[in-house]
Amino acid sequence: MNIEQLVLTVLTYGCVYAVMTVSLNLQYARGGMINFGTVAYFAAGAYAYAIFTQEAPSGLDQYAFGFDAPWWVGFLAAGVASLLFAVITGWPTLRLRGEYLALTTFAFAEVFHSFLLNERRIGNGSVGLSNINRPDFSAIGLDDKYALAAAAALLLLLTALLSRRLLASPYGRAIDAIRDDEIAAETVGKDIKRMRFEVFLLSAVPIGFAGALYAMITTLVSPYLFTAEVTFFVWIALVLGGEHTIKGVVIGTLALVTFQEVVRSFHFETVRAAEIAASVEHVLTGAIFIMILRWQPFDRIKKKEAAIKKKEAAA
Amino acid sequence: MTLIAQYFVTGIVTGCFLILATIGFSLTRRVEGFLNIAHAEMLGVSAFVTWGLNVKLGWPFLPAGLFAIVFTAFFGLIVGRIVYDPIRRLGPAVLLITSVGVAYVIGGSVDGLVGTGIRSLDIPLATTYRFFGVRITDYQMIVVALAALTGLSLAIFMTRTKTGLAIRAMSDNPGLAASRGVDVKQTSRATWLLASGLAGLAGVMLAMIATLSTDIAFHQILQILAVAILAGLGSLYSVLIAGLIVGVAMDMSVYFIPAGYRPLVAFAVVIFVLFLLPEGLSGRKSK
Repeated sequence: MNIEQLVLTVLTYGCVYAVMTVSLNLQYARGGMINFGTVAYFAAGAYAYAIFTQEAPSGLDQYAFGFDAPWWVGFLAAGVASLLFAVITGWPTLRLRGEYLALTTFAFAEVFHSFLLNERRIGNGSVGLSNINRPDFSAIGLDDKYALAAAAALLLLLTALLSRRLLASPYGRAIDAIRDDEIAAETVGKDIKRMRFEVFLLSAVPIGFAGALYAMITTLVSPYLFTAEVTFFVWIALVLGGEHTIKGVVIGTLALVTFQEVVRSFHFETVRAAEIAASVEHVLTGAIFIMILRWQPFDRIKKKEAAIKKKEAAA
Repeated sequence: MTLIAQYFVTGIVTGCFLILATIGFSLTRRVEGFLNIAHAEMLGVSAFVTWGLNVKLGWPFLPAGLFAIVFTAFFGLIVGRIVYDPIRRLGPAVLLITSVGVAYVIGGSVDGLVGTGIRSLDIPLATTYRFFGVRITDYQMIVVALAALTGLSLAIFMTRTKTGLAIRAMSDNPGLAASRGVDVKQTSRATWLLASGLAGLAGVMLAMIATLSTDIAFHQILQILAVAILAGLGSLYSVLIAGLIVGVAMDMSVYFIPAGYRPLVAFAVVIFVLFLLPEGLSGRKSK
């Protein structure tokens, strides 16, 4: 297998997915909100980018809008689209708790997916949009694949920095307080509903940008790329990396993407062998996931480290 | 008019299937206290065990189906004991997320063992009967009959037998039930057997009325969730009504909007219910 290609693929897709895990980390590990519809915000971003940069429809095209705008307009539109979708879904649902929130976001994502699949005027329905424009990277003298990997890494870096800054601030401590004890937080005057809503919206924007980047990388958007599988993938990555820390979730995502890409880069002689490999990949992913949740190794390491530090401080 | 009536009848059949598929899910939610996303994969396990015995080994349909139900029941019990029991202290959110992992493992295994492609059982073709211009097949009638029978026997089981009473006691207040001498472990085991067995039954029905492909289980979970939410998570009797409502709504919608939106109707119901009746049809406050 081609090592350079593998590293590049892992880096590119890993960073795009990691943007989602970092945002999800903000929502779940810090905000206590279970969002089981992550893919919808991702898809909203990708489709917004595609629609804004696409040429106006002609001939057999069934989509109704194509604005032929430059890439940065599309990129911004992706963030806005994801934000808008978060407003629509978050405003009514955030008064729901725990599993109800998980189910409603899941339901919204399925509804959105179904619209993309059936409504041909949005993006050609099940066919999807292809030949999506990429920014012209030759201007900065980089090959497309390196430039896209760099862009993904940059987006991840910005998201992580923003997320870290936010959580280290008094605002971040208020978020933690709400997660840990709503009633206590409310008693000291925190507007819980509003803060949860704000966190929800804020974390949706990077997911939209990641969607735009994903559309640039694949130059294709189709409903089949945006299934609940993406949501589950991000969740597994989040758990794999040990929730709560940004470094952890990024490493978790990269590890999971590496694992999948390595499995996929093997060359299989028959279709059946490839099929079996794909199922084994699924089974292993699930099994690792279950085991991590069962034994919580990351929490233990953290506790041990804390204990060592305490000892050192005492000595 | 006949067409609408036809969609209505098909909807009732779909609803009855959904009832069978959802009761086990709601039972798990009520006693074990979490949403078991992997429940739908149990339907897949049962459907493909039936298929394997019936088509590959040439068993007649009835013993194949019965074996599949028993197999699924014990399989569910084992998964419950090995995977969910040790992490129950971590709370429903972790259990819910874990069940996604379980769904991956089971779904992946079924995929790997069976392979992609469309399959059907080796059973006689359905005979169609006509009543006032509305068609219904004998297999569809079996589904309806079994759903009715299951609802009835579940009611008897829950109110008349010791295990049933223990399950109800435990779902209302586990601490109190334990202190009054209910064997919590045994009741939990009975619940897993029952819930998975019901999933097994639904899986056999699925194998009987539908063509099978390995991703079929995942599509069921969406509808199961819809029915369970409409019923009010964890309530059992309102599942009977909720299943019929979702089934009829989905199939009748085909008359008015493109058929591609059929699954969407189920979710429109979910969103609608969560906003208007957050406790579901049962009106029971969920814990």
